[in-house]
Amino acid sequence: MSKFKKDGKKGAPGVNTSSLPDIVFMLLFFFMVATTSKESDPTVKVVQPEGLRTTDMTPYKQRSEIDFLYLGKPLNPARAAKYKERGMEFLLFMDNVAQSNPDDLYNVNSIRRWKLDKFESKPARMSEPIESVITCVKADQGTPSGMVFDIRKELQDIDALTIAYAVRDNGNI
Amino acid sequence: MAKREIPEINAGSMADIAFLLLIFFLVTTTMDKDQAYVRSIPKRVEVTTPPVDVEQRDILAIRANSKNELMVRKELMSNADDISERVVEFYTFNELKNDVASNFPLYSRISLLEIEGRIKSASADAEATEATPGASKDIIDFKYTILKEWENKKRALQLYGKPELPEISSQAHVRIEVQKGTEYSLFAKIQSELEEAIFVLRDKAAKEAFGESYGTIKSRYAVDKKKDSKMDKEKLDLLKILYPDKFIEVTPKK
Repeated sequence: MSKFKKDGKKGAPGVNTSSLPDIVFMLLFFFMVATTSKESDPTVKVVQPEGLRTTDMTPYKQRSEIDFLYLGKPLNPARAAKYKERGMEFLLFMDNVAQSNPDDLYNVNSIRRWKLDKFESKPARMSEPIESVITCVKADQGTPSGMVFDIRKELQDIDALTIAYAVRDNGNI
Repeated sequence: MAKREIPEINAGSMADIAFLLLIFFLVTTTMDKDQAYVRSIPKRVEVTTPPVDVEQRDILAIRANSKNELMVRKELMSNADDISERVVEFYTFNELKNDVASNFPLYSRISLLEIEGRIKSASADAEATEATPGASKDIIDFKYTILKEWENKKRALQLYGKPELPEISSQAHVRIEVQKGTEYSLFAKIQSELEEAIFVLRDKAAKEAFGESYGTIKSRYAVDKKKDSKMDKEKLDLLKILYPDKFIEVTPKK
């Protein structure tokens, strides 16, 4: 006779999930805005040194006025051993290249072709003069500076006259 | 005929689709920013004339050897954090009053009237060179660059609002001389210290002249490059003339 009838059969009501897509889309948009797309993963290990008062490269990346070079020890132990025999402990890696000869990936002399290929493959409307297209060198902290200067020399020869030395900035970002 | 009801589309899998997209973006993008020091490489030239002698006082040589030992102006330095102070000293030692006996670059002061005189003579020179038959394009361009520099200085001084524009000796520069075996971390540290020193100097000047910090002006200029940032550009130009960042990276021989 109670007013509060208990119906044993009734289970917990289902949660309305109709707004779930909205929530997920919101998350999606957040990530689309807050991140930038990755370049190809380098096959060398790079631990960047620290530095202050750096310039942010994101605007250049968005306009793709920047190419990345990596310097570090190879991640693949077999490759590391192979190059170590030739006295090359630190290797160069160029992003976004399909090379017929895998050794070309690590050869300083192929920078010219890499850089010029990249420059020519860009659509004409967004082409900056090659002097101002940045080449960003991401080097491991233990890399000998001589390698950086070898790269610099190659870039100078093809008039790609802007270089950037990447560091990790833990200060004001 | 009875109206047929349009069946509702089942949107239950919408969330799954959105999740897939979300995961795709999570995997292919990265949060960390790329931070770097942007430097320009000097253009390759065939050297025909012998290099100009630069006075010792105008050089701030930062050397690092393959054992990662540092030397600034021929003095061993144990702590790399002190480089920026030495650079600031290099720029400011003679700023207020020239001490000829010191081993630091001298400053010159130029008034608006003098700059205008220079603009006149530079433009006359440029036009005369252009009118000369057989003058090479490089030389004409060079003369116009000089003219442009003087015009920039005029604008800078007008903005500065002082009777004279102090200028460090045009040959004053910082040289980074590393060896092939020097670790990149030390090379980067030197770059960091230089950037820090220039920031300190320009920040001080910016606060005195415009009452705002160098970082504020720079970031504001970076954000709106197009619209009313002409003023910011002129401010940055002035700071650059006051404390030019002339860094030379010497290619290591050994």
